Amino acid sequence: MSTNVIGKSITRPDAYDKVTGGKKYPVNYSLPGMLHMKILRSPYPHAKILSIDTSEAEKVAGVRGVLVPDDVPKQYFTPVYFVPHNAPSMVQDFVLMSDTVRWAGQPVAAVAAVSEDIAEQALELIDVEYEELPTVFDPEEAMKDGAPQLHEASPNNIAKAPSFAFGDMDAGFEEADHIFEGVYETQRVHTCYMEPRVCVVDSDTDGRLTVHSSMQHTFGLREKLAYALDIAESKVTVVKPTYIGGGFGGKLDIGFIEGLAALLSLKTGKPVRGEHSRGEDFISTTRNPIKVYLKTGVKKDSTYTARSIRSILDAGAHATHGSEVIMVHGLYGTFFPWKCPNQLWEGFTVYTNNMIGGGYRGYGAPQGCFAVESQNDEICETLGIDPIEFRLKNTHREGDPHPVLEGHKLASYKIEDCLRQGAERIGFDKRKPAGSSTEVKKRGIGFACHPLWVSGCVGFPDIYEHSGATVKLNRDGTADVISACVDLGSGQISMLTAVVAEELSLAPENVRVVYADTDTAPFDAPTHASRATYSAGLATKAAAVETKKRLFQAAAAVMEANAEDMVLEDGMVMVKGAPDSAIPMTDIIARAESPFIQVGEQGPAPTTIAEKGTIIGSASQAPPSNPSPVGAQFIELDVDTDTGVVEILRVVYSTDIGQVIHPNSAEGQVEGGFQQGMGYALMENLQFDQETGACLSADFLDYKIPTSMEMPANIESIFIDSNEPSGPYGGKSMSEMCLIVPAAAIANAVYNAIGVRITDLPITPEKILKALGKL
Amino acid sequence: MALTSVQSFYSPEDSKGVIELLAKYEDSALIVAGGTFLHGLVSRGLLSGIEALINIQKLGLNQIDVSGATMTVGATTILGQLQSCEQVQKEAWLGAVKDAMTYPPVQIMNSGTVGGSISSSCPFFDFPVTLLALDGNVQAEGGNGARTISLDEFFAGLFENSLEADEFVTGVTIPVPASKSTSAFIKMETNANDLAIINLAVSLSMTDDGSCAGARVFAGGGVGETPVRCSAAEGILSASKLDEDTLEKAGQAAADELDPLSDHRASAEYRKAMGKVLLKRAVTSAIGRLA
Ligand SMILES: Cc1cc2nc3c(=O)[nH]c(=O)nc-3n(C[C@H](O)[C@H](O)[C@H](O)COP(=O)(O)OP(=O)(O)OC[C@H]3O[C@@H](n4cnc5c(N)ncnc54)[C@H](O)[C@@H]3O)c2cc1C
Repeated sequence: MSTNVIGKSITRPDAYDKVTGGKKYPVNYSLPGMLHMKILRSPYPHAKILSIDTSEAEKVAGVRGVLVPDDVPKQYFTPVYFVPHNAPSMVQDFVLMSDTVRWAGQPVAAVAAVSEDIAEQALELIDVEYEELPTVFDPEEAMKDGAPQLHEASPNNIAKAPSFAFGDMDAGFEEADHIFEGVYETQRVHTCYMEPRVCVVDSDTDGRLTVHSSMQHTFGLREKLAYALDIAESKVTVVKPTYIGGGFGGKLDIGFIEGLAALLSLKTGKPVRGEHSRGEDFISTTRNPIKVYLKTGVKKDSTYTARSIRSILDAGAHATHGSEVIMVHGLYGTFFPWKCPNQLWEGFTVYTNNMIGGGYRGYGAPQGCFAVESQNDEICETLGIDPIEFRLKNTHREGDPHPVLEGHKLASYKIEDCLRQGAERIGFDKRKPAGSSTEVKKRGIGFACHPLWVSGCVGFPDIYEHSGATVKLNRDGTADVISACVDLGSGQISMLTAVVAEELSLAPENVRVVYADTDTAPFDAPTHASRATYSAGLATKAAAVETKKRLFQAAAAVMEANAEDMVLEDGMVMVKGAPDSAIPMTDIIARAESPFIQVGEQGPAPTTIAEKGTIIGSASQAPPSNPSPVGAQFIELDVDTDTGVVEILRVVYSTDIGQVIHPNSAEGQVEGGFQQGMGYALMENLQFDQETGACLSADFLDYKIPTSMEMPANIESIFIDSNEPSGPYGGKSMSEMCLIVPAAAIANAVYNAIGVRITDLPITPEKILKALGKL
Repeated sequence: MALTSVQSFYSPEDSKGVIELLAKYEDSALIVAGGTFLHGLVSRGLLSGIEALINIQKLGLNQIDVSGATMTVGATTILGQLQSCEQVQKEAWLGAVKDAMTYPPVQIMNSGTVGGSISSSCPFFDFPVTLLALDGNVQAEGGNGARTISLDEFFAGLFENSLEADEFVTGVTIPVPASKSTSAFIKMETNANDLAIINLAVSLSMTDDGSCAGARVFAGGGVGETPVRCSAAEGILSASKLDEDTLEKAGQAAADELDPLSDHRASAEYRKAMGKVLLKRAVTSAIGRLA
């Protein structure tokens, strides 16, 4: 397909603004007379609040409002944005403030004051009397009879226990020539978005709220905030941030700040701002740790005969995302990516007195991929099978029915190209047998792939999945795009711009993604689940098509021709096959927007009723399918076997994302995804004091992520030539895949280097030395 | 968390001004040089009750003098300036300083100061460990005049030093070795913005036949409240040929001398094991500088 803009890496419209300070980040938003909110948090992981005395805090000059749990509506809901507040797949166990504390860091009071310092001082004067309760931090302990119970409605602390099965497990394992068993564990990590969670909430005299917040979903925030405060949704206006400083799933649920700031604003009549410190961010969202018990039967010919999987997810104090993460982990992270005739998966979302979980790019799949791809490597190693052929034997093929979605096909699915081209680029055939180097620094090459993922949420019963946009043409030949799709930094502004520019034959600089809020824009589901390009891209394309239709109708009136015969090329509207008929589209727009007599260069001239009316089009629709991106990542690294330090030397990531809309952004996704994946694999770990439950990471001095200095100089992205028939211009999704595979790929490369396998993340230098028997 | 108690910010032009302010405020004043470590202290609640900040950047203490028998580095010399110093780049005996300057991120190199690095009295920093291995001294000035404090006397505990309340650091001095010497430094870190899991500096004075005449070994970063001197390892290295066997023994001795802590960065066991590896590698690297 020939395109003008798609596939060309247009200049990102937000780039200049960001590199000159990014004044439109929500963290920079302020209103005159604004108050500042600070939150008092429980030092205990499990306790009953017996009393709270705020009288001294209220006396501090400059304090304008104080909230305690009694001031908060007792509305129990799920804070996750992308489902209705009462979604059956979720657990409605969340309340803005409770008098039972279930994790260290849970909010117990909030203060609004004229400055942050005063609010902080006031917090110190609040006297809370707690009765400590017994605690449990390990999910498997929490499932045992007699363990401390966190929520009455959930015996044995099991919030959700979904499972799937097909085939005959006994027969399947019977048929196997070899059976492999392993336990794979992952840790708690943070998305480390750069901009903290922050909001400014203002209220009107009639109780209407206007909310600015750094979040991934305008409409989700509106719904959850209205529900938490027990007011009508129409009383809440959420303004879409022009862009936010990262989210990665970490801003995919209503935090405490929006609700508490709203209540304080209603109480004081002033705008109220809340902002997390990095330490508060660390205890507000995390990727849930999952422990995977994995048993697989394989035949001599490399095919699976049976697989049983038991996944235990540590939800922490409330279920929040945990009940959905476990499902996605089960469906798309472990069960359906591979072909296996007999399978059983059992998942458990378990309450503990750890911090609450959240969304994080990959949503349960990085944990699943680490388990399955580690074991796949073990199988190949033990049986001496070519690991690439093994994968290909057990993955789906292009044209196969979609393994989860009935009636859908894997229409674009180039897993074989991903594996073969990646292998060739890294020089996989030259890799040495595992642990064979006699040097202190041992070289390793490894890979992992993930053969099934999503482009959104079609097929998930209670997840919102529709998008909308309005596209309006202006007299100066520019287009405005109104969309509620939030740009997390991942390039949604560029993507929407490119789609509209392509469809309306405009230069990208003549397309503006403009102001939007929940009052004026059509609904859009969040920017999550790798869905924005596929779903919001398609809806915006549909809106642009509507706009074009309207343009052709007006042009038809001017040219006295048929609207159906019109085409738009290089800004000219013409009758198909008759280039002489061409009129600049700006003329049509100008005539449409003019009074009946239009004053042009040749003087006043009449226009007709039929031409009149703004050239505008809207669409709101769910996408037609849920095409799977696929990818394979190859890693070359060194392990220093005296220190256990891993140095990543080279990364090759080959992926089928359909037609690439914006190559530079796509590479950025690969690189950023690898950075997060490398942190997950090697160093990141939110650690907590085992007795007090207190988080040991207050900032980046204690929580380690790879910096540019640790990143390999070479990350090579291969985008396989592919076209997804249902996608916008042949595109599908990309973002999450880039973070699903790295940990497994790195683990397999470390194994290849040292010949010993580490099955719990992160693979720290200490674990490597222990595995080598040197510690 | 902000420094809410701060009322005043001073920028005196001479040391007298600094000393008067220190005397006036006693424990409630704090010197600011590059300001890079203040953030960490404040966010951990370690600086409550500070009423005045005293900026010492106007004193002109950012000079490096290498002309005499002692190298002098002024307190407000930024780390980047020290790194660019020709002698640091070229002289084997200053190799440990050169090595230490490769670790801090560029922002710290451009604003963190030598005086701040020493005065923080933080056992996890790098430059102090190298300075200890080079037998460096601290120059301080206070109400009772100027004095020289040897470094191991200077570090009194975690974030504690032996400065009087009205004293501050004006610079550090390092004796230029009379005989052929070499040094090296290595730090273990998780990322480039990390404090040392463990770090180690060695300085060796060498005879003409290539054997070691004397050694200094110091380790820091999670091995104690102040950097630790590894005297047994020094003893094994001194008067030796620095062959494989010596290195192995000295490494083991260094590990045995360390009684590290276990924390969320690393276990004591790992730190101890790394003491041995770092010693062997640092000695090898120092000798390599003479080749
Ligand atoms: C992200 C980051 C990475 C870092 N990486 C490294 C690293 O790799 N290696 C390393 O060694 N260090 C590292 N550091 C620490 C850094 O070296 C120190 O923060 C810096 O040297 C301190 O100097 P400063 O001038 O900024 O001190 P300041 O922050 O101004 O002061 C620090 C302390 O010293 C006191 N002080 C300062 N100057 C004097 C003086 N002349 N007399 C008396 N007291 C004084 C102050 O009162 C304060 O208590 C890092 C720090 C950060 C924030």
